[in-house]
Amino acid sequence: MGYGDVQMIDANGIRNDGRKAGDVRPISIELGVVPVADGSCRMKWGTNDVIAAIYGPMEAHPRKIQRQDRAVLDVRYNMAPFSTSDRIRPGFNRRSREISKVTAEALESVVMLELYPRSKIRVEIEIICAEAGTRCVGLTAASVALAHAGIPMTDIVVSVASGKINDVVVCDLNKAEDNYGEADLPMGVLPNSGELVFLQMDGDLSPEEFQEAWDYNMNAAMVIHDYCVEALKTGRYPQ
Amino acid sequence: MSIPLVPQLLRSHLRELADNNQRLDNRAQFEGRDVELEVGILGNAEGSARVRMGDTIVLAGVKFQTMTPYPDRPNEGGLMCMAEVRPVSGRQHEAGPPSAASIELSRVVDRGIRESGCIDTSDLCIIPGEKAWQVILDLFAVSDDGNLFDAFALAGITALRNAIIPQEKFELGEDRPLIVSKTPIMCSYQRVGGRFIFDANGREELGGDERIHITLGDDNHVHSLQKGLKGAFTAAEFTELMEEARKKGEELRNMVHSLEGGN
Repeated sequence: MGYGDVQMIDANGIRNDGRKAGDVRPISIELGVVPVADGSCRMKWGTNDVIAAIYGPMEAHPRKIQRQDRAVLDVRYNMAPFSTSDRIRPGFNRRSREISKVTAEALESVVMLELYPRSKIRVEIEIICAEAGTRCVGLTAASVALAHAGIPMTDIVVSVASGKINDVVVCDLNKAEDNYGEADLPMGVLPNSGELVFLQMDGDLSPEEFQEAWDYNMNAAMVIHDYCVEALKTGRYPQ
Repeated sequence: MSIPLVPQLLRSHLRELADNNQRLDNRAQFEGRDVELEVGILGNAEGSARVRMGDTIVLAGVKFQTMTPYPDRPNEGGLMCMAEVRPVSGRQHEAGPPSAASIELSRVVDRGIRESGCIDTSDLCIIPGEKAWQVILDLFAVSDDGNLFDAFALAGITALRNAIIPQEKFELGEDRPLIVSKTPIMCSYQRVGGRFIFDANGREELGGDERIHITLGDDNHVHSLQKGLKGAFTAAEFTELMEEARKKGEELRNMVHSLEGGN
């Protein structure tokens, strides 16, 4: 089966998991799930289940990685072997390295690194159960965990991916939509300024479709930001 | 990276506590932390469990693959057990290839389960000499506050006992439960402040000496032993630990079985 061969949205605009085009999957957030870490967050988003933990700021070693004027972020995105339908062999691969890199660069844009010269902040993102959009869940969970660790930031990064299925633009792709859809546009948004710190895309979108997917992401990010703030105030969302 | 002075101070503090028959968290010498055990918590695994003991949290996930049987055992499948202590689980755990300590951890847990014979590998054969099931048990540390050994072993056997062989997905008939005939339980002891204690937490591990891991089967048969770290122990000490492991093992085994109402 290839692009467009699988019917994923019906004539009434209802998707295979019952959502309308603009709906986000159910999200829950819990803080403090790694008790030995300085900050941590577990985010369930659809059937994605992601743990992010923060260690630091701590001494940066080896010394060659130190920066005299700021902290360095050491970000690792990893999928647990049992997180997918087919088992994943443990260890870094090209995909996880790329995601770790762009995630680090997104977070570097908001963390006030200049407050911690010569130190290191470790950001560990572990995908426990993967559906679709794990990089978005990982980035969002990591920024919530950083806030939980009390690391000064200018904003939280909220990341969400919209795309196109059966020629319809929809928000927050699920697994089938990600596998058989025609386009995927993950974005990392700063809800307070509306700026972007993370952007990827693959597939095929017309200028109009692109704008629609962009707007879906922006709107979803504002909603998810409220969930994150609620979780940071009370330790969890929903209550 | 560790500063030797801190463990030295910790060691003398632990020694004082031990002399008064006390522990850092007010537990008795052979008292474990409260154990939380959950099953079926990972959506994409064919069997899963989560164990929490104090601030130590681990996950176990079971996956199945098909394999070609080994030439000398054409009618048998296989079991693979892998433990990962990733840097998410603690400040002291660095990224990089598995350390000797985490390889030991993985192998000791594997031996306890494998040698108990709880999995009948001939039941995993699909086509003799051609195709068999390989059971893969992945153990994952979320938070390490000591005694990952017991947490991994408990999560591992629990996940296996609740695993379903995904035969439908491989077009090999209907899904069926993996048959696990025994419940091997590991109990780990570490010398802290001069005496052995059960279920050391992270600080007790940091200021402790040798550890002893005992895995016992349902009928109290011994299936795996391991002595780790520097130190020497007496036969009398070992006899006492075996006695304690029998009692504690029974308790934990009942806990695992209590989650299996359906089977």
